[in-house]
Amino acid sequence: MDNPGVPERKILGFQLPPKVVWTKRTKADLRTGLLFLSPWLIGFFAFTLYPMLVSLYYSFTIYHSKRAPEWVGLENYLKLFSDQKFFISLNNTIYMVVIAVPLGLFASFLCALLLNLKVRGQAFYRVVYFLPSIVPTVAGTILFLWLLNPQVGLVNTLLARLGIDGPNWMADPNWAKPALILLGMWGMGGTIIIYLSGLQDVPTSLIEAAELDGANWFQRLWYITIPMVSPITLFNLITGMIGMFQYFAQAYVVGGGDNLGRPLNSTLFYSVYLYQNAFLFLKMGYASAMAWILFVIILCFTLLLLKVSDRFTYYAG
Amino acid sequence: MKKPFFLLSCMVILSIMLSACGAAKPAEPTVLRVWIQWGDNPQQIQTLFDKYTALSGIKVEVTAPIEDDKVLPALTGSNPPDILVLSGGDLAKSFYKEGLVDELSSAIKTGNIDTADMFPAPLSQCQQGELTLCLPWGTDAYALFWNKDLFEAAGLDPEKPPSTMEELVEYADKLTIVGADGKLEQVGFIPDHSWSHNDLYVRNFGGFWYNNEGTQLTTNSQAMIDALTWQQQFYTKYGVTNLQAFSSGFGEYGSPDAPFYAGKVAMMVEGEWQVGPNFIPALKPELNYGVVAFPPPAAHPERAGTIVNQGTVVVIPSGAANKDASAKLLAWMMSPAIVAEEFCFNANLPTSKKAAADPCFKDMGPKFQVFVDLMSSPNAYAVINTPLSFELNDALSSAEEAILYTGADPKTTLDAVQAEFEPKFNEMMKK
Repeated sequence: MDNPGVPERKILGFQLPPKVVWTKRTKADLRTGLLFLSPWLIGFFAFTLYPMLVSLYYSFTIYHSKRAPEWVGLENYLKLFSDQKFFISLNNTIYMVVIAVPLGLFASFLCALLLNLKVRGQAFYRVVYFLPSIVPTVAGTILFLWLLNPQVGLVNTLLARLGIDGPNWMADPNWAKPALILLGMWGMGGTIIIYLSGLQDVPTSLIEAAELDGANWFQRLWYITIPMVSPITLFNLITGMIGMFQYFAQAYVVGGGDNLGRPLNSTLFYSVYLYQNAFLFLKMGYASAMAWILFVIILCFTLLLLKVSDRFTYYAG
Repeated sequence: MKKPFFLLSCMVILSIMLSACGAAKPAEPTVLRVWIQWGDNPQQIQTLFDKYTALSGIKVEVTAPIEDDKVLPALTGSNPPDILVLSGGDLAKSFYKEGLVDELSSAIKTGNIDTADMFPAPLSQCQQGELTLCLPWGTDAYALFWNKDLFEAAGLDPEKPPSTMEELVEYADKLTIVGADGKLEQVGFIPDHSWSHNDLYVRNFGGFWYNNEGTQLTTNSQAMIDALTWQQQFYTKYGVTNLQAFSSGFGEYGSPDAPFYAGKVAMMVEGEWQVGPNFIPALKPELNYGVVAFPPPAAHPERAGTIVNQGTVVVIPSGAANKDASAKLLAWMMSPAIVAEEFCFNANLPTSKKAAADPCFKDMGPKFQVFVDLMSSPNAYAVINTPLSFELNDALSSAEEAILYTGADPKTTLDAVQAEFEPKFNEMMKK
């Protein structure tokens, strides 16, 4: 404990800041602080907190556009648990979280390692790897649909030259999600940049000391680099997981609006089904219930990751 | 000090009273807003509505196409458009149930709109019992297109399209070419080419997924099972993976490389716009093809000439500022001359019988006339819609996918859809 005079306060195992003693000065500071914060606070209350609370209320109702909502208690939540498509969408989303996020982290870490090598044209390579992430999502997705076209696409053409009969990609329910994972990995420039900045913060003194002790490249990577960038890994993992739970745009483009979830509901992700319920089936109350369940799922996963992260995250400071 | 205050109060009260008098009878608007969910050529649509401005002095601002996600917020907001043209009748009933659009009896009366002049099939997609929730503006119908050159190459009479569904299957087999590597090089017929045509097939088998009144759910009726079993055979025979791989290499819809134009598919179910000036005559003028009503099953020749209409419908948002002005504009839009002008230009079918007699439709040639004639067929139907349509159609699409692409048993799959939706449908009907 840093300050032995102040009692330690914890909630769910998380350390809280020490209790504030209210003096005239601290109250004045609070007022000033709130004043400076007010533009953000007003925006937060009006455009985030209020809609969230209203959607919580709507989740217990049948929402009508012009008439008052009908209170139905937990009915929307209970219906979800007997809705087959709800579970399909949840499964598809969890598949992406479990496969795509770690795979993306692994691939971007490897790319960052390569781009951190002192080679001629390093800046050029960095730009090349980052470029796909500035391509708009819709354009990138349409481009991938062409690349993965089973008959005339570049990928299957190259596979055919190697004697491999390429899959039907987006037309095959078994290959649709892997195709979307490939698309996601193509645009991982942002994660690479964050890893790259982390790699440059790894103290060279530690690497040199390990070299003197006879550690090979893999040992230096395993015992020094990876632990040193573990906070970055945690950050990328949490933001990647949250983003993947909300996966929507690419699936919407692939579905083309009318064919959401195709083929065979293999691209029916949680947010896509939520959108369908809210804006196509006009079941806003049901969709609000889905949104709150998603919020709780993301919250639980994030808390779990933060809790477990103590074991694999090293904060040098 | 008191006197000016008294005078000011009097003026305020007087102005409120005057404005209240004004509210009782709204002044004629100077601008009306029309939103249209489709529209490849916004300038043409605006020019059409400018004619109303010339006639009435009221400016009409057209937004076409309006994005789908803007429609619902506008209808629930305080400033919806005065007229909304939806791309299909399926949303009109959901919107009416939510109180977002008006029932149109009084608008029909105000505008003196002659509903007897409308073809019964497209009008039926707007009706719910005695209520008329929308009016059909233009419509589409589907028929069978066949490539005469490919018929000849396969040893078939190029002037004799299949006359029954069974014969169509037989012809399709003769027209399908498999390469030495086992891959498809040409296909006779793909039942869900471009998109699902289950509505047309199921009507030919004598049913639909609702009863004719739309009061009963019949997703697992014998007609539905037969229609999907009939379609499934093409995928079973040619191989799902093989057919999907073949289809994925097709050129863009509406391009010269489209599969029917390029001779990759010998027969297809398509709409009337294909024979209009923007499609086959522009993209592949040399294509040697014919058009005929989709054939019925051999056991039911009385079902010849079956079509299923769906197309644009017009609604008046319940929040429209001036209902009388909206009704007058609606009446103008529904007049035969305007219907003929708009749908001749776009090569779509008119919903007005008088408009259908306009020479401009004849000028589009005998192939277009096949579709115009089908509008008067005793077997002309429209897609039946209920407020559950969007959700049910989505489930039916998934069922169709499972049946065609995974070989799922049609009866079991449709039974599951019926079991899932029957309680929802019954609950909806009670409300």
